Amino acid sequence: MSVSIRHLDLNFGPVEVLKDLNIEIHEGEFLVLLGASGCGKSTLLNCIAGLLEVSDGQIFISGKNVTWEEPSKRGIGMVFQSYALYPQMTVRGNLEFGLKNAKVPKEERDRRVARAAEILQIEPLLARKPAALSGGQRQRVAIGRALVRDVDVFLFDEPLSNLDAKLRADLRVELKKLHHALDNTMIYVTHDQVEAMTLADRIAIMKDGLIQQLGSPNEIYNAPVNKYVADFIGSPSMNFLEGVVEGTAFRTGDTVIDLSTYGFTAEASGPAWIGIRPEHVLTGGFSDVSGLTAEVTVSIVEPMGADTLVWTQLAGTDFRFLVDGQMEVKEGDRMQIGIDASRASLFDKSSENRI
Amino acid sequence: MRELAERGYLWCIALAFVAFVLVTIGLDYAVLVTAPWVLLALAGIAAVLLIVEARGVALAANRFKWYAIGWVVAAVVAMGLWALAQKDVQAAWPALKSFRKMWNVFEPFALFAAALFVLIAIGILAIGTLDKGMHQPGRLERTFAVNMSAKVAAVPMAFTAIGVFVISTGWTIYHSFTNSKLLPKSQFIGLDQYERLWSTNRWLVSIENLAIYGICMLIFSLVIGFVLAALMDQKIRFESVFRTIFLYPFALSFIVTGLVWQWLLTPEFGVQKIVRDLGFENFTFDPLFNADWVIYGILFAALWQGTGFVMVLMLAGLRGIDQEIWKAARVDGIPMWKTYIFIVIPMMRPVFVTALVIIAAGIIKVYDLVVAQTSGGPGIASEVPAKYVYDLMFGGQNLGQGFAASTMMLVSVLVVLIPWAYLEFGGRKRG
Ligand SMILES: Nc1ncnc2c1ncn2[C@@H]1O[C@H](COP(=O)(O)OP(=O)(O)O)[C@@H](O)[C@H]1O
Ligand SMILES: [Mg+2]
Repeated sequence: MSVSIRHLDLNFGPVEVLKDLNIEIHEGEFLVLLGASGCGKSTLLNCIAGLLEVSDGQIFISGKNVTWEEPSKRGIGMVFQSYALYPQMTVRGNLEFGLKNAKVPKEERDRRVARAAEILQIEPLLARKPAALSGGQRQRVAIGRALVRDVDVFLFDEPLSNLDAKLRADLRVELKKLHHALDNTMIYVTHDQVEAMTLADRIAIMKDGLIQQLGSPNEIYNAPVNKYVADFIGSPSMNFLEGVVEGTAFRTGDTVIDLSTYGFTAEASGPAWIGIRPEHVLTGGFSDVSGLTAEVTVSIVEPMGADTLVWTQLAGTDFRFLVDGQMEVKEGDRMQIGIDASRASLFDKSSENRI
Repeated sequence: MRELAERGYLWCIALAFVAFVLVTIGLDYAVLVTAPWVLLALAGIAAVLLIVEARGVALAANRFKWYAIGWVVAAVVAMGLWALAQKDVQAAWPALKSFRKMWNVFEPFALFAAALFVLIAIGILAIGTLDKGMHQPGRLERTFAVNMSAKVAAVPMAFTAIGVFVISTGWTIYHSFTNSKLLPKSQFIGLDQYERLWSTNRWLVSIENLAIYGICMLIFSLVIGFVLAALMDQKIRFESVFRTIFLYPFALSFIVTGLVWQWLLTPEFGVQKIVRDLGFENFTFDPLFNADWVIYGILFAALWQGTGFVMVLMLAGLRGIDQEIWKAARVDGIPMWKTYIFIVIPMMRPVFVTALVIIAAGIIKVYDLVVAQTSGGPGIASEVPAKYVYDLMFGGQNLGQGFAASTMMLVSVLVVLIPWAYLEFGGRKRG
């Protein structure tokens, strides 16, 4: 079901955590709220769940205004970072407790528990207590607890953050499968951009209680709306060079980058940043690039297996780019690099917005 | 071969020692007299074998080094003692003569001990130089020599524990079977003290009072403490002010509490007077002067003093509950009271156990509150066991009777504690 958040404000005493927030989440969409820790993601999710009283604004779920509705009546299920299982109940008890409380008849309860257990492959664990489960299994049970509620909207608050890297990757894929299988609306909070990019239909990037950009992973990656988003998304992160836009050229020190292929969103001139992703820098075997070609000296080499991150200096600033992991590069080498202006991003110097 | 030599060596030394001890305590059979020397000779052969096997002495940084050196030092000391018993030495040092008898006792031991110690040192050197065999510390060594400083540090604690708890308790129980009066005596009279105890009306009243007081105190202080803590946990304003107010009585001694509540419950000054002054002339409220109600008057004062502390314990426990559990329960639609009863309280089990133990200890030893509030009156209506023990031991000069009563108190504590400990620790494996 669709969720829409209109002019949402939330204050903790004098501290404004969310400021006039608006999001429309479509039915069946997987929306990821991404942002650095402390930016208000969990606060927003708790508002949607009804666990926090909003200071101003409305929340609609499937067109119904639920701003002042109890969490259990909103048709949501929620999964937490710490799993929040009831420790003295078995897995089955955890799944059933809410249903029993809502007086769901026994057959119906058993049917739902069986279905959730099957989907999440936790049937053999039903008689165990949470203490006897691994982190991954606990999180499955927590997801199961949301699943048996038979709700339309799932809320996840950093569900994978307490797991180790391997499990996280596995469970990520399973969440994606789950979304395909159930077709529910899912709102997912994380600070991990890999999770966001891999899972999301759309990502909302938050900073200080404001949404910076809301768009598909591709849009956010290729056309970040401001310098913060550009810097936040991408690993290794984007290179920024400071300079001046003059017509269709970007001048930084003695270096001039030709911007004739850059897709300007606005007429622009004056001080600016240019951002170039390390993986978009061309090396070896390229010809005729519209932008810049330069010869640089390698200062540090960081092999990462599949790729190698090479550090150099360009126009007096540190500059990184990726080369194939099989390529032989060593410190002190001279390399020919090319920058394709059509894949770069330009940001106004003072507003830091994309131009 | 090496194994045999090592074991043989150690056994020979040990047996020689045993045989020698037997001889010295008077069992001077010919076999026993010769045995130590034969055994020591065997040990010597074994030591030589070990040294030959080890081909040289390479003992640096070996854990046996200090043992060997220690035994050599012991041998030197033993030789010194032997020397002190010699006439020539004593002639040179006249002061020694006054202790002549003592030196002469040492003489035969000292020479043998010196020989034994040297042999032990050699053997340890031999074993220590081998790269295999005894390179793992054995059970004895692990018990006494490994991590020595920690064990030495634990000795005072162990002595205190044994001395205070075991020996004193044993002493008390032992003397409860005697007819000790003003001073402890060892004249046994069997179970007489216990028979007398259980036929004393005052003791029976004490037990009954303790039962009423204990059950009510446990239930009410846990319930009230938890409810206050739960109210306090609702993110109320001025929480710290309330917390301080509730905890304040706990800072008072039982004597002060007792006196304050004695005053409040006295008809002429306290609650009864206030209500009568308000116009209810026939109002009567004098629990401390009514034999049926007096124990509840004491209970009230104890609750007033103790619940604040229970509340603080419970509040700490509540604060330890993950906030996300609350959120999960709300999303599941569980009402707050059900969340407390079915989720939060079971999670707070350790806090409840702690509170229970503290409250129970307070119940068993309740004494000063009674003394301050009623002195056991009216009549003997508010007597408690601890007061009975104190009065008989120090007032009635009847130690035996006091010991019997305190043994009964100990037994009742154990009756409660042992099943609990069994459940708490014995059941852990079931997890
Ligand atoms: N109960 C609260 N009282 C006061 N401030 C809070 C409370 N909860 C969160 N905050 C503040 O709100 C901001 C956003 O918190 P949160 O939504 O938890 O961030 P995150 O994006 O890491 O999930 C943080 O700066 C935090 O300090
Ligand atoms: Mg958070």
